[in-house]
Order: sequence, then structure tokens, then C-alpha cells
Amino acid sequence: MTGANPAMQPAADPIIELRRISKTFGEVEALKDVSLAIGRGKVVVIIGPSGSGKSTLLRCINRLEEPTAGEVWIDGERITGSDEQMNKIRADIGMVFQHFNLYPHLSVLENITLAQKIVRKREKKAAQAIAMEQLKRVGIAEKADAFPNQLSGGQQQRVAIARALAMQPKIMLFDEPTSALDPEMIKEVLDVMLMLAEEGSTMVIVTHEMGFARAAADEIIFMDYGEIVEQTTPETLFTHPTHPRTKLFLSQILQK
Amino acid sequence: MASSDLERTSLLDAPAFEGLKLRRFSLKEVNWREFPWWFAALILIAVVTLVTVLTSPTFNEAFFFIIAGLGVTVSVTLAAFVVAVVLGLITGLGRISDKVLPKNAATLYVELVRGVPMLVLIFFIALVLVPGIINGINALGAALSNIGIGSIGSFFSAVAIRDIPMALRAVIALSITYGAFLAEVFRAGIQSISRGQMEAARSQGMSYGQAMRYVILPQAVRNVLPALGNDFISMLKDSSLVSVLAVRDITQVAKLYAGHSFRFQQAYISLAILYLVMTVSLSLLVKVIERRYCHDGR
Ligand SMILES: Nc1ncnc2c1ncn2[C@@H]1O[C@H](COP(=O)(O)OP(=O)(O)OP(=O)(O)O)[C@@H](O)[C@H]1O
Ligand SMILES: [Mg+2]
Repeated sequence: MTGANPAMQPAADPIIELRRISKTFGEVEALKDVSLAIGRGKVVVIIGPSGSGKSTLLRCINRLEEPTAGEVWIDGERITGSDEQMNKIRADIGMVFQHFNLYPHLSVLENITLAQKIVRKREKKAAQAIAMEQLKRVGIAEKADAFPNQLSGGQQQRVAIARALAMQPKIMLFDEPTSALDPEMIKEVLDVMLMLAEEGSTMVIVTHEMGFARAAADEIIFMDYGEIVEQTTPETLFTHPTHPRTKLFLSQILQK
Repeated sequence: MASSDLERTSLLDAPAFEGLKLRRFSLKEVNWREFPWWFAALILIAVVTLVTVLTSPTFNEAFFFIIAGLGVTVSVTLAAFVVAVVLGLITGLGRISDKVLPKNAATLYVELVRGVPMLVLIFFIALVLVPGIINGINALGAALSNIGIGSIGSFFSAVAIRDIPMALRAVIALSITYGAFLAEVFRAGIQSISRGQMEAARSQGMSYGQAMRYVILPQAVRNVLPALGNDFISMLKDSSLVSVLAVRDITQVAKLYAGHSFRFQQAYISLAILYLVMTVSLSLLVKVIERRYCHDGR
């Protein structure tokens, strides 16, 4: 790991471990021999310029992207990519997307119960009870019968979070969850994420929201050109970035 | 996207009637250049024909003679369409599959059907492919008898080519032909659903099949419903081709009637009107369906 802060101890009981992951798309090397361990209950924020491989790294964790080389370990289990095992492991990893990706043909409630019923094999009643509980948590229980296109972006993203939480995942992945939102809706989504962070969920978050990163992250990872340039605490990164590329990136975004 | 097209094709929303909507309707405000003249002409043709059929004894006779074939036309079309939808769905899924065999088999089928005129395909399927398969089954039966499993063998040998009626062969031929067209409709419908839908479903632990069934297909089918409706209308028209197999649909019956009465006018005008009534009313129905589900906004 180039430039990793020596003060950071490797996670003692990692729930996510990437071992020497590479990913190429044709000529493009999106990830170059990346290793990473994330401890149970940690909130990890990934930042970096566009095209630096943040999404690809995140998507390798639940194998939406198949790494070209390297190993992924989740909760002490090496995931091999066999279909049954992947489906089982993915059910334990919630993912929230930039564009929400709610199922537009289903109501909010059905969005949240669908995978519970067919993946978790829960009875309809039980699935609905869990769905309502999660909707209350994200503060939009009254929208249970609405359809996604009747909701604002912020509400849709909160439904998407509830949908992921209803599977009772061990890990939550967020890929720029507020980037597609109008500014006035960003806070309502970040507040939900802060609440999850405080409750001790394991979260890996790609975001450009530096205020959130400072407030919520246990660790912050700076990526550039498919590599992890720096991995440290938010205080250290924002106040004493060691690597010149980190300094450059921070000066650019903090200017804005 | 489709909604603006729809507004245009829907009669009452035609720009010609802009004045009507404003309630200050006056003849001057109707844009006669945009007036749907074709529809007025269509109504006129229908009325004139109806009157002719009802008042002229020869037309009357021809019309009701030909109507006897309507049951065959409708049942051949319906049966073939149902099979074609199933075949089209399976083939469409094959076309987008990552797996080598389904993908190539589906593409081969689609390209074969696309490259041959429909009339030739109907001859080929009904008179070469179906008999060929029966011969194959018979040969299998003979082979089974030879190795001493006579009871199963005789079952296979019992099917004779003449046992497969031409109407059934016509249904098979139309199904195979339209299955390839509908495969492309389904493929396009599935590919129109954003990649994020499949990713969201897979990220929740659904298998590819579950994601298809519960997330992608319900949306895709909704999107292709109007296209399916239009293909049904095309199939109704193309079902006239099965008359070359001497299946007694309305076209074949009209041919027979014209042949022995020499009333070509009466026979073929009645025939054309019958098709027209069916296709125009069906396409209006398709528009209504299209409107309804576009307007509910999901
Ligand atoms: N499916 C793909 N096919 C081809 N190239 C891809 C694909 N996905 C990512 N890439 C390339 O891999 C590199 C890393 O992409 P990635 O999406 O991981 O970056 P990112 O850090 O998430 O950027 P952004 O901030 O813009 O989302 C980029 O050069 C991108 O063009
Ligand atoms: Mg990205």
C-alpha cells in the first residue's frame, strides 16, 4: 500500500478484505493491485478524482464487478464467484446507488419486500413488518404505498436505503448516494447515513461530501489512478495529508 | 417519450381540433390541412361497403360465404401468436444471454427466419420441416423396435405425416416465423431497461433468473405491449398466407368462392373489408391500451 499512514493499524478483525485486487477494462487499469482491510463496525469513506477507481473498488466488494486478479474475503470467507455463494453473500451486503435504482413498477413497500420474500424467504406479513420498520427509520413511513416516480430524489434515496437495510446486511456500500440529488435534499440523506454510522453499521461510502466524511468516517481513503494513495483518519488526512497527490486533490475540492 | 407521439396519433388531440379544446369552437379555427382526412375516408368506405353488402344480393352472398372462414383465421392467428410470444420471449432471453450456446442458437434462429421470405418459410416449415421431423420420429420408432423396445417403438412409428393437419402446420409455421420477430421486440424491450435495475436486484442477492422475472421483465413487457399489439395485427394479416396450404381461412374461402362463382369483385372486396374491419378496430384498441398505461405514468 503506497503511502499508507504507518500509524494506522491493520484491522484486527476485518469484515472486508481485498487482497491484491486488480481490475482492467480493456486497456484501462481501473484498479492496480489494491489491498484493503475494513474492520467490523467501521465507517470508511473513499474519496478521489473522477475515474480514479472508487466505484470499481466498491463494486468489487460485492462482485458486481469481477476482479481481474486478487481475492475478496467477506467475514472470513473467500468469495469465489460461484453463483449460489455470490447470491448468498450479496444478500448480506446492502448497496445504495447514485441513481437510486428503485424498481419503478413496484410500490415503495413492494420495493422493500421483494428481495426479502424471494431471497430471504420471508412471509409477506413479516417482510412488510420489517419494511415498515425500516421506512420509519428513514422517516418516510407515510409513503409506503406511493410509487417511486411520485417521490422526490431525497425520498427515493431514503427508500433505497430502507430497501437495503431490510435485508439486515452486515455491510452497507454507498456509491455517491447524494450526487444525483438537488442540494436541498442532500442533508436528509446524509442524516440517515449519519444515524446508521452512529448505530455501528459497517459502511463503505464513496462521496464528495467532505463535511460528512469528517463527521462520520473512522477512516478515509484517498484513491488516484486506480491505487489507494493514502488511508488514514479524517483528521490526519484533512490537516496533514502526506502525499502530494492528496494535497493537490484536497486543495482543488476545498477551493470550490 | 412516446406520449408526445401519442398525442399526435390520437384523433381528438389532432392539431386540427385545437379549436374544439378551447371551447370557442368555430369552423374557421379548424385547421383543415391537419384534419385527419384519412379517417373520414375510412369511415366513408366502411359505410358504403356496409350498405352495398346489405343491399346487393351478390355481395351479400359473397360476404356471408367468406365469413365462414373467420373462425379459422382467428383461431390460427390466436394460437400462433401465443406460441410465438413464448418462443419470442425464450429467444429474446437467449439473444441477451452471456452464455455461448443460447446466444448463438437464438441469433442463428433469428437470422435464418429474417433471411427468407415469409411465404417460402411457410412452405418450407409445413411441407419440409414438419414432415422431416415426423420422419425422424418414425425412424426413431423403427430403431427402438429393432433393439426390442417394441411397445415404445410402435408408439413413435404410429405418427404419420398425414396425421398432422395443414391447419396445425400453418400454426407451427406462423409461430416459428413470428417467434423470431417477437424475439427482437423482447430483446429491445429488455435492453431498454437501465442496467441499474439488474444491478440493484443482483446486489440484493437475487439470481439472474429472479432479477429477470421479478424486476426486468415486468417493466420490459409493459414497454413492449404496444409493439406486441401491432405485431398481432401484422400476424392477423399474414395469416392470409396460410391459404397456400389450403387451410380454409377467409382468404382461402374467398379464393374458392371467386373460383367457382367468377364473382371476383364481390369476393375480394368482401375479403379486404373483413381484414380492414379487424385490423382497424384492433389498432384502435392498441392505441387505447397504449394511452391508458402511458397516462398512469409508471
Ligand atoms: N464498465 C466499464 N467499462 C469500461 N471502462 C470502465 C467501466 N467501468 C469503469 N471503467 C473505467 O475504469 C476507471 C475507473 O472507473 P470508476 O467508475 O471506478 O471511477 P470513479 O472513481 O468511481 O469515478 P467517478 O467519480 O467519476 O464515479 C475509469 O477510467 C472508467 O472509465
Ligand atoms: Mg464512480
